[in-house]
Amino acid sequence: MIKASSIAGKVETALVEANTIMDDKIKSSLYLYDGPFSSVLNENSILAEKLKLPLCQDTGFIEFFVFIGQEISLEEPISDTLNMAVRRAYSTNPYRYSVVKDPLMHRENTGDNTPSVVHTFMVSGRELEIRFLVKGGGSENLSRLFMLNPTTSQEEFIEIIVNSISEGGARGCPPLRVGIGIGGSSEKSMLLAKFALTRELDSRNPDVGYAFLEEKLLNEINSLHIGYQGLGEGITAYSVSIETAPCHIAILPVSLAIDCYLCRKGVVTFEDR
Amino acid sequence: MKIDDLYPGQELSFTGRLIVMRDAAQMRLKKLYEGGKTLPVELNEAIVFYAGPAKLVKESCGAIGPTTSLRMDGFLEMLFEKGVLATIGKGERSVPAANLCKKYRRVYLIAPSGAAASLAQRIESLRTIAYEDLGTEAIFEIDVRDFPLIVATDVNGSDLFTLNRR
Repeated sequence: MIKASSIAGKVETALVEANTIMDDKIKSSLYLYDGPFSSVLNENSILAEKLKLPLCQDTGFIEFFVFIGQEISLEEPISDTLNMAVRRAYSTNPYRYSVVKDPLMHRENTGDNTPSVVHTFMVSGRELEIRFLVKGGGSENLSRLFMLNPTTSQEEFIEIIVNSISEGGARGCPPLRVGIGIGGSSEKSMLLAKFALTRELDSRNPDVGYAFLEEKLLNEINSLHIGYQGLGEGITAYSVSIETAPCHIAILPVSLAIDCYLCRKGVVTFEDR
Repeated sequence: MKIDDLYPGQELSFTGRLIVMRDAAQMRLKKLYEGGKTLPVELNEAIVFYAGPAKLVKESCGAIGPTTSLRMDGFLEMLFEKGVLATIGKGERSVPAANLCKKYRRVYLIAPSGAAASLAQRIESLRTIAYEDLGTEAIFEIDVRDFPLIVATDVNGSDLFTLNRR
């Protein structure tokens, strides 16, 4: 049995770290940037860590990807435990409550930044792996689903992705992290795109063809020269990550998910001995 | 400094008062405005900052930063009609927004996004002035010191993002 309190405690700590400590790879990239607002952005990463203030006032909503080994047992539904962790992290720190209860009619703030979005996947083994994204609204609004013709060529595919980023990229707080899900079904492709954002920043798809496509897309996106803050200087994207799944003969679903320049995320793992 | 003299790409360091509001509050203001009612906030000669602050650490200091201005474009003419001099946010706006800047001879400025801890140090005071029930989306009045800004759209509707694309 993995205790709920132990899960909640570790997840809470990871959420605080993601909100206040800039990833080392992001830091070194930012260090190389000397365009508009560069000094305030560098100062921000130092101050956030030192003063335990959030790197961004949009402390996001939390998306969890939970891989539950079939041999483990839990005390309660994992979403209850994860929401407890979020509630604690967001009520005890100077973060923002950015979640509304009803999406269309009332939009009343829930006042504790829950509920989170929790995706669970049953896997083999006795391990529990929890990945999460601290997702801001600006980058989330750039998410796109394209139901492409199954005969779409790689060139057309690249054009669709690059055009989409050309049109909206400046609004997602670049440099961007680009996640792409190809195949599955409409909703599965979006899950893959989001999951891709949880991968290490410099990871490559294990398939050589897709790894090459990731690199090609990254080069094309960087040729857009959107730059830091959309101001035309510095890189436009850090990396592109592609995840794929088999799909129906008549379809080619492609989803695009974008993360902002902070790429706030985390991974926490447990073993049920 | 006269707003007529500002040009796209110009870097500014602003000290003074800002009215903070975003989606939900402007939606409420628009309903009042369209019904010919008085607004709960004085906007004449105001500078509006599109933002929703995080919780305060001390009385006056909380993480803050700009939100996407494009979502606010539908409320921009109302603000200009009420006398707003400038708006501050992040990202490129629509063509109609640039045209409104030209029509009313007003400017759009951008603040650094994802720099909330740093910007928090430049807030001297924060006060809620309307719609407290909206939480972070309420209307606030803040006094800032040395706030870093860049001119995005000038009074002639000339826009930094459009210029950068060329």
